[in-house]
Formats: sequence, structure tokens, C-alpha cells
Amino acid sequence: MSNETILEVDGLKTHFYTEQGVVRAVDGVSFDVREREIVGIVGESGAGKSVATTSILRLIEEPGQIVDGEITYRDLTIVGFEEQDDGTLTPREAMLSNREMRDQVRGNEIAIIFQDPMESLNPVYSVGHQVTEFIELNRELSGGDARQEAIDMLREVGIPEPENRFDDYPHEFSGGMRQRVLIAMALGCRPTLIIADEPTTALDVTVEGQILDLVKDLQTKYGTSFIWVTHDMGIVAEICDRVNVMYLGEIVEQGPVDDIFHDTKHPYTQKLLESIPRPDRTVTELDPIAGTMPSAINPPRACRFHTRCPDARVACTEVEPRFVAVGNDADGDGDEHEGEHNDHRTACIKYDDVGYWDSVPLEKVGDRDIQYVGDRS
Amino acid sequence: MTLLRYTIRRILQAIPVLIGISFITFVLVNALPGDPVAIMLEGQEVDQETIEAVERRYGLDRPFHERFVTYMLGLIQGDLGYSFHRDMPVSTLMWIRLGPTLLLVISAFVFALVTAVPLGVLAAKRRNEPTDHVSRIIALIGVSTPSFWIGIMLILIFAVWLGWLPSGRLVYPWRDPAHYGFDGRLELYYQTIRHLLLPMVALGTLQMATIMRIERSSMVESLQEEYVQLARAYGVPERTILRKHAFRSAQLPIITIVGLNLSTALGGAVLIETVFEINGMGRLLIQSIQQLDYQVVMGVTIVLATIFVIGVIITDISYAYVDPRVSYGDRD
Amino acid sequence: MATTEGQLGDGEEPQVGWRHTLAQVRNDPTARFGLYIIAIATSVAIFSAVDANLSRLTLGAYHDYTIGEWLPVLENPETLPPPGEMQTYQPPVFAEGGSWDNPLGTDQSGRDYLSRIIYGARISMAVGFFATFLGLTGGVAIGAVAGYYGGWIDDVLMRFVEIIYSIPALVLVIVFTVFVSGGNPDVIYAILGVGIATVPVFSRIIRSRVLSVREMDYVEAARAAGVTDRNIIRRHIIPNSFAPVLVYATLQIGFAILIVAGLSFLGYGAQPPTPDWGQMLNHAHGQMHVNPWMSIWPGVAILLTIMGFNLFGDGLQDALDPRIDN
Repeated sequence: MSNETILEVDGLKTHFYTEQGVVRAVDGVSFDVREREIVGIVGESGAGKSVATTSILRLIEEPGQIVDGEITYRDLTIVGFEEQDDGTLTPREAMLSNREMRDQVRGNEIAIIFQDPMESLNPVYSVGHQVTEFIELNRELSGGDARQEAIDMLREVGIPEPENRFDDYPHEFSGGMRQRVLIAMALGCRPTLIIADEPTTALDVTVEGQILDLVKDLQTKYGTSFIWVTHDMGIVAEICDRVNVMYLGEIVEQGPVDDIFHDTKHPYTQKLLESIPRPDRTVTELDPIAGTMPSAINPPRACRFHTRCPDARVACTEVEPRFVAVGNDADGDGDEHEGEHNDHRTACIKYDDVGYWDSVPLEKVGDRDIQYVGDRS
Repeated sequence: MTLLRYTIRRILQAIPVLIGISFITFVLVNALPGDPVAIMLEGQEVDQETIEAVERRYGLDRPFHERFVTYMLGLIQGDLGYSFHRDMPVSTLMWIRLGPTLLLVISAFVFALVTAVPLGVLAAKRRNEPTDHVSRIIALIGVSTPSFWIGIMLILIFAVWLGWLPSGRLVYPWRDPAHYGFDGRLELYYQTIRHLLLPMVALGTLQMATIMRIERSSMVESLQEEYVQLARAYGVPERTILRKHAFRSAQLPIITIVGLNLSTALGGAVLIETVFEINGMGRLLIQSIQQLDYQVVMGVTIVLATIFVIGVIITDISYAYVDPRVSYGDRD
Repeated sequence: MATTEGQLGDGEEPQVGWRHTLAQVRNDPTARFGLYIIAIATSVAIFSAVDANLSRLTLGAYHDYTIGEWLPVLENPETLPPPGEMQTYQPPVFAEGGSWDNPLGTDQSGRDYLSRIIYGARISMAVGFFATFLGLTGGVAIGAVAGYYGGWIDDVLMRFVEIIYSIPALVLVIVFTVFVSGGNPDVIYAILGVGIATVPVFSRIIRSRVLSVREMDYVEAARAAGVTDRNIIRRHIIPNSFAPVLVYATLQIGFAILIVAGLSFLGYGAQPPTPDWGQMLNHAHGQMHVNPWMSIWPGVAILLTIMGFNLFGDGLQDALDPRIDN
């Protein structure tokens, strides 16, 4: 994986200014995407995955706003700030204008596939018209060529008899077929990067499998990079090269898929992995993550996961975890420093030098309280 | 082919409704207590024999159900009865009076659509900005104001005070210009528009306001659709999104509302024709009521209701044409 | 985007109670404004009293009369100018020749125009409320029965409703008022006519609500428990369908006032000497060239009243339908 990095997100913060307060949907997220790879962003719903990816295309709408961070696509500055004398942040000169975003980035460099294929296609235009329109807009093709390209792309994604189905309307397609149309739309624009925002969540398992296979084939063929947003670790295992685990607006662990799966560091990642149904485990072992995700308006102090973490200690409520490189201990010899050069990193104070181990487990504190009440009565 | 079959089916479905309309109208009008012939011949010296002769001539000596069957049989053949007062067949009268009413109602809808659609789109685009607030206030006043009062105010301002426009009567574009003493077609059309302007605005304001409200909310909804987000994500310019991607699907409720509002517009035409002295169906209705020319009253009511039914069928077909999701099979 | 797990499922409707709705309406300045207009118009309609000759406004405090005397009372008859001394067609106070005695001038019989406009609220409000109540009762009954029983009952009732709906409301009301009254139209017939003309709207809303409510578990349960159809409709279905009906009823009152104004304008509503806005406009229309002021005030009164109902109805709709946010 020595491919060139094409997208770099650094310290991105996207906040929503609602009546209830500031929703810190994305709160300092950094990751990158290289050529020809599939990068996963995984987490429960509400973790801020979609906001993060929407920020990349700068499609955040009111009351949302990108307030800090850098997003660089090749040599283009999608988001960039500079600090003024009075300490406020203003957009840098190099940052692309909305018009430049539209003409240079959206569609032609970075395309997107949304979650719900039922809602993503305009019901009153034919499928062929919609695919052709986006291809024509984002590539230097004449109307007739764009139409031919659209037909070819529809065939490529496995729509039978695309010439005949070209003038059909979205409601005449099944969910899986519509998602194929959206993939054709994205690939037809020949982008370098495709953001796929939970594209298979709305589909049933069989169709999901077919779509994943299709994407893997096409990704190899066209050499497109993907950011694959999902809440399902199973999908991550199947198609991603690297993965970022998000919790409540932050990335808590990132690294190559093999390391994440076989050398899991963060307790949240552990929980996500345990929630995958697997044939070698019985249903009783299935362990959904306890509790609900706290509000992103007032996230828990220090480590945001401590309210639900089985390993939480008092220190977790006090010390802000740093993002540290954790070694590749795939061979299990206990040497955690052998792979420090690679990019497996996590934000958990267990792996940092802050006296986590001296601290009292939170669970105990809770137990003692209950005990006390019980004694009194 | 399916669209044609759908059309035929809708027309067939309308037949029982039309029969029902005729029945209810017939019942209502024949509920008039007293002897219509006596009322008709009031003030004239007539003997019993003449009354009976007149009754026989109009079939009034027969029982209710027989008269209804006769009337319905006539309707099927396009015979709407005979106007006592005007001494001509009601159907002939209808043909003369239909033109002005249709001209008025259609132009009112054209006015409403031409103003309301752009304003509604603009209001949706600039949601919660001053433009939006102004357009909402206009819409609110529009739905709250009686059309005939708007007519009176328009006459007061533009005809009485400013003297810019005529205060009543229409010039019909299908007539010979010589009939009005105009030089040619061009002047005829010019005068048609000048005369039509005030009644058109008076009748169209309510429609404009209703359509504007629906256009706004429909566009607001449509602009939040995922396929609009997708278009943005593919770099489609905001203007194209507004005019194409969000616009088309947002017009579907407008089509429906135009059909349904035809009812209020036809009712409003009765008032506007009275205010502006336009000799259309509405004014005919009022005149015939005053003259107790009850066959004409029935004729006007049935024809106006039929226009509404036809209008709804036309809008339903347009809807099916614009929205590919409509299945012609099972829904009305 | 900040949705959390364990929040309401998609199928569940958030529980919207009356108290919540009212609180929301109270927080909506435009709806509140509408409510004020309705309140003013209603109290004016109930409590206004005008002397018998309608020559001067006597908006007395309501403790001056007993309930039986809500109709115009004669107050201080000795101070009235004798008939014949009253000036006809006097212009409003700000025009030349106007005076504060008759702020909006006088009409063809020298009656105070403002008094008549205030008094006219009574007819409009009465027709609006009663006609809507009638339409609502009829519509709810028809819609509930049609929706609950379905089958041929539904077909017949809905066809009937469609027929009524197909005749333009104003035309239907005119024909009804004139012919059913036997050529002597009056407010009572107007109320009946407008009531009939509003039945279709209500029966359609109720029917569609009933169709969805009918399938709900508690209705199934009630049916299984042997509750009679009548009681299921009355106890379960109608109360559950009431929110949209209330919104439409509010808007429909405005519509009823609009129709009756038109009806009176044509001369088939309230008959003289009862003051009525539409009827006043009818006379003013003929006076347009000579006394243009007369055409303005009744129209403004109609506009404001209907606007009150529209504002309030919209506010109610926003409060009851959480989907719409402005």
C-alpha cells in the first residue's frame, strides 16, 4: 500500500447550531484515503459518520457548519482555515469557492452514493435520463456519447438489457437494481473517489452480498478509491482495506482492517466486533453495546465512551485520551512496538502513559454505591 | 394506450356522478313550493284552461318521477329543457353563455399560475427570509378576501378613480371586430385583455393565494428530498436544481389543487360576473332565479357541475401523465 | 444527524396531547394573532348592542342586558334624533363633511355605518359557526359510517358526497336557499345550505382517518371483546380522528363566512333590515361612483374575520402536524 494519498482530513469539526444547543456531530476527526483503496468509517448511527463524509463535499446545510479543520483533496483545499490576530478562524484564501467545488470536485472527482436507493432517484425522470445527466455534467461528453456511456455503465453494473430499461422510471426498479443504477451514476462520472454512505443498509442480505461483490470487481477494474460508511463490521471485513472507528464525533481507533480485527485495541471496537452475528457463535453470545449513545450536545467528559465502556476506570472520566500509535501485535508475541511505523492508532488511555491501571474501575465505584444503599435499608 | 384506457375509465366513472348531480338539482329546483306556472304567469289574466295548457306543454301535469325520467332522457340527447322567460332552448342559451365564463375562469387560473408558481418557488428558496414573509402575507390576505370585494375595489381604483381600465363587460376575442367597431383583430385582442384584466385578477386572487401556499410547501419539501441532495453532490448548479430537479415533482400537488379549486372558481364566477356585468353562466343563474326560470337554473347548475367534473378528469389525466408512478389500474 | 439509538421507532407517532398543542399554538405569534381576531369578532358578535334605529353605536358593557336581551336594546331612546333628521350617506370622519358621531359615515337610511358593521359580525359569526357545526356533524357521521363499514355502504355514501362536492359550493347554496325556502331566502336557509356544502370535506377527512384507525390494535381488541359497532365508532374512532377535523373546522368557518358574504351580496342571505356585510356591499356596489367609502368597510371586516380563522387554523395545523416546520 504505497499508493499516493488523495484525500486528507485533519482535525475536522462540523457542528450544528440548534435551539437545544451546539451539536458537536463531528469533533476533530482525522483520516486519509489513498489511491485504489477502500477506507471504512464504522460506528453506530449518530456517531457522525455521514456528517463527516458530507463535509468532504461541503454539502453541510444550515444549521450545520464546518468550524475547524483541513480537508485536502490532492492539491485542492476543500476546507482550510487560518487564525486571525484576534484568535478567530477564517477560511483560507486557497479554499475552493462554492462554484469551484461544484465544477471541479463534486461528481467529477468525488462522487457519492446515498443510503436509500428508494429516495435517491428522482421519481419523475427516467433512470437513463438521470444517469446521462450526471455523466454529461461531469465529463466532456456530448449528449449522444453520454447516453451511450450511461447505457454501458448500466450494463457494467449488471442491469439486464439496459437499452430497454433506459427509459423506465425508478419505481419500476427493485431496491437492489436502483442501488446498481446509483453505482453506475457514480462510476459513470469517472471520479477518483466515491463516498458510499451505508449503500447496502436498506437492502436485504442477499442483495447486499451481490452489491458488495459488484463494488469489489468494479473497484479493481476502475481503480477508484472508496470511503465506505457503515455500521456493520462484517461489511468492513469484507471490503475495506483500512478502517476508522467513530464514536460520538471522534475517531477512536483506526488502522488496517487485519490489525483492527485481530489486534483490537479500543473497547468500543471490541464491542462493535462482538455485535457481528457469526456462525461460530450462538445467539446468546451476541452482545449488543449496552446503553445508548449520549447526546452530542453535551458529550461525556474526557473519554466519550466511558459511560458505556466495560473497562472504564475513574481516570477515563478525567483524562482526555490522546490518539496514540499502537503496535502491530499480530504475531501475539507481546512486543507492542514492532509495528509502530504502521498506522494502527487508538484513543484509549489504556495504551497511553497516564496511570489508567492505578485508577479504580468505574464499575466498582458504581457497585459500592449500590452496596451502600442496600446496607442502609 | 394505458393512458387512453385510464381516460375512458375515468369518463365512465363520471357518468353516475353526473346522473346524481342531475337528480339532486332536479329535486332541489322542484322543491319550489307553489305552482311554477302560476308564478310564471303571475300578473297576467289567464284562465284555468290556459294554465293547464301550459302545464301540459311543459309536462308539469305529470307526477315527479315521470318528469324526472323525461328530463333525463332529454339530457342524454343534449336537451336541457326550454326557457320560459327567454323563449329559447336552454341548451342554446348555455352555448351562448358558456364562452364568457370559460374565458373568465381559464384566464383567472392562468393569472394565478403565472404569479403563484414563481412566487412560491422563490419563497421556498428564500425560506424564512423577507421575500418568504411577504409572499406568505400576500397569500394569507388572498385566501381571506372575498373575490367580489376585490372586484369592487379594483373597479373603484382602476376604473372610477384612475380611469385606466373599463369597469365591466367583456370583449370576446371570438367575435367579429366589426361587432364592436374595432379596426382589426389586434385591437380586438388588445381590448379583450383590457376588459378581462380586472375580473381576471378579482377571480384569480384566491386561486393565486392557494396555489402559492401549496407551491411553497411543496417546493420546501422537494428541496429536502434525497435526490435533490444527490444532484447537489454531483455538482448540479443550484438554479438547475430549483428549475428542474426539485421543481417537477413539486408540481404534482398543484395539478390536483387546480382541478379541485375549479369548484371555488366556478362559484366565484357567479359573483364576479355579477360585479362586472359579464353575461356568462353565473349571471344567467342569478337572472333566471329572479325570473323563476327554473329550467335554466337546472341547466346552469348541471352544466357548471359538469365543467367541474370534466376539469377534475383532465387534471387527473395530467397528473397521471406527469407522475410516472401513477398506476392506471386501481386508483381514482 | 445526532440521532441516538433507542429513540422512537419510525412507526410510532409521537404522542401529541391537547395541552401540548395549545401550548404550541400559544407560542406561535401568528396563531395567537388569529385567536385575538376571533375572540374580538366573537365578543363583538355576542355583546354588541345597537339601538333600535341603528342610528348610533351603543357598545355598552354587557351587564346592561340580560341574556334574553342580547338582541338590539333600546338605550336612551330619548336622546335619539327623530327619524328624518338622520343624515343619509354621510362620509366617514376623515373625509370632508364627516363627523365623530358617525366615524364611518351613515348609510342610505342614515344609520351609523360602524354600528352596522359591528352588528354584522353577528350574522357572519353565527353562520360561520353553525354552518360549520352542521357540516361537521353530518360529515363526521357519513365519513365514520362509510369508513367503518366499507363495502357498498361506503360506495353509496361516498358517491353521494362526491355528487354534492361536484356542484360548486356557492351555486349549490344559492339554489338551495332560493328554492328550498320557496323564494323567501333567509339566514337559516343559508346556514343549512352552507352546512350541506361543507359535508363532503369533513366526511372525506374522517373517512380516511377511520380507514387507518380501524386497523389499529385497540379497535380490533374492542371488536373482539364484543363492543358494538356504534360504540366503537363513537368511543374510539371519532375521538381519534378529531385533530385534523378541528383544523379543517377552523379553516372551514372562514370559508363559510366567505360563501355567505357572497350569498348576501347576491341578495339571498340575511334580509334587510338585519345588517350583514355582504348585503351592505350589495348596496354599496350601486353607490360606488357616488359614495365609494361605503364599499370599503364591510370588505375589510370580512377580510379581518376570515384572516383570523385562517391564521388560527394554520397555527393549529402546524401544532398538530410535527412534520411541517417553518
